Amino acid sequence: MQKTVSLTVNGKPATATVEGRTLLVQLLRETLGLTGTHVGCDTSQCGACVVHVDGEAVKSCTLLAVQAEGRDVKTIEGVANGDDLHPMQEAFRDNHALQCGFCTPGMIMSALDLVKNNPDPSEREIREYLEGNLCRCTGYHNIVLAIKAGAEAMRGSKAAAE
Amino acid sequence: MTPFELVEPASLGEALALLDPDDPAVRPIGGGTALMLMMKAGFFEPRRLVSLRGLGPGITGINEGADGALDIGAMVRLGQLERSPVIRRAAPVIAETLVTHSNVRVRNVATIGGNLAHGDPHMDLPPVLIALGAEVVAASPSGERRIAVENLVESYLETALGGDELITSLHIPSQRNRRAAYIKVTARSADDWPALGVAVSLAVENRAIRAPRIAIGAATETAMRLPKAEAALTGGASWRDTGREAAAEAPVIGDHHGSAAYKRVLVGVTVERALRRALAGVEIAG
Ligand SMILES: Cc1cc2nc3c(=O)[nH]c(=O)nc-3n(C[C@H](O)[C@H](O)[C@H](O)COP(=O)(O)OP(=O)(O)OC[C@H]3O[C@@H](n4cnc5c(N)ncnc54)[C@H](O)[C@@H]3O)c2cc1C
Ligand code: FES
Ligand code: FES
Repeated sequence: MQKTVSLTVNGKPATATVEGRTLLVQLLRETLGLTGTHVGCDTSQCGACVVHVDGEAVKSCTLLAVQAEGRDVKTIEGVANGDDLHPMQEAFRDNHALQCGFCTPGMIMSALDLVKNNPDPSEREIREYLEGNLCRCTGYHNIVLAIKAGAEAMRGSKAAAE
Repeated sequence: MTPFELVEPASLGEALALLDPDDPAVRPIGGGTALMLMMKAGFFEPRRLVSLRGLGPGITGINEGADGALDIGAMVRLGQLERSPVIRRAAPVIAETLVTHSNVRVRNVATIGGNLAHGDPHMDLPPVLIALGAEVVAASPSGERRIAVENLVESYLETALGGDELITSLHIPSQRNRRAAYIKVTARSADDWPALGVAVSLAVENRAIRAPRIAIGAATETAMRLPKAEAALTGGASWRDTGREAAAEAPVIGDHHGSAAYKRVLVGVTVERALRRALAGVEIAG
């Protein structure tokens, strides 16, 4: 059964015809060509597919596209400002927080969700928050450092803007 | 996943009419976090899913009555409960339990209705809600009824709900003057599914324990109260002896988180610890 869904993706309106069983991640990757959102486990375990829906981090591999009708979706493609990386992306690069990079989009989307609610997270809070975001390469240490640095840079740029 | 029809009714009446008591391939969907895994594994192949997303404010709100009782709509997400100032004040044990429940991304999507209707015994909230004396409000074409959370799940993934019956809300009686604690025991990482969950709730009057409720999950076929342990505690048994009574009474079964013998030992120790936690800083006679 086909259905039309209309939603906002990275600030722009998007409309697509999907089946009831189409996942949000399939809509993003296959229909809209936004392949920055990855699929690792496809079973809610790994967090490679994390996007924001109405400002909250969710796993797009377990949300039906139809459930995103009328909602505001943000993917990793919507994070940078043109060619200027977001401070959190910058921090991942500077802190060597990725190797193969497969987990990185999900890590960054989770990190931004954390910092939105907790602008100055402790190492422990970062580690707890990353439960459900798996990385096979880095051992997490540099990801934690990057999120701390990214949060600090975001506090700095917010202060500068005020 | 096999193809299915996903419908999004705008009212409770419409939703009930779209359910089909004679067809197990027609199910309601809350957050879909449990359903989607069963569908991807081919364990469940729906013909129709009835989304409860459009059902309006009655099913999405958290309300506190003048007496302190809470009414929580079935579509309230676990993350909303965890962050709600009302829940943190009126039933803080729920917010504390949610911190190690699955993870932030799952809690942002999973609903309390779906959580309770899922009927997996390895869950954290059922023993907590049983200890708090909570009831679900269920609606079907023949009307509305209340079901105590301890009577909701009948066996593995099987509930007392009819095929055309929906949980519309959760009612938690006032917890004023009561204290509660939940202890989750995990066999692997700290936020794994529980190997055992123990929840206790009780009142203290004149330095004596009144009306205790002790519930366990993840170690028995369904989450349940332990009435003999409760009676022992009311009768003045020590926390350790109450734990022993609980371990003797609970129909513990083993699973891949631990054998029955291991879990039985855990029940005794954890009941004692949960009582100690709930009563921290309180003086009890005797
Ligand atoms: C990665 C992961 C980790 C997890 N870890 C834990 C954990 O540590 N502890 C724990 O307790 N749980 C854990 N869970 C399970 C989680 O709690 C459930 O998946 C979730 O609560 C189900 O809610 P939902 O709204 O997504 O339900 P759905 O998937 O939408 O539905 C579940 C069931 O309930 C039915 N249903 C839904 N809404 C209603 C309603 N209003 N009335 C009647 N029936 C309804 C559906 O038909 C289905 O049978 C985990 C899940 C995942 C994916
Ligand atoms: S792909 Fe969604 S959690 Fe792994
Ligand atoms: S960098 Fe390879 S999985 Fe994380």
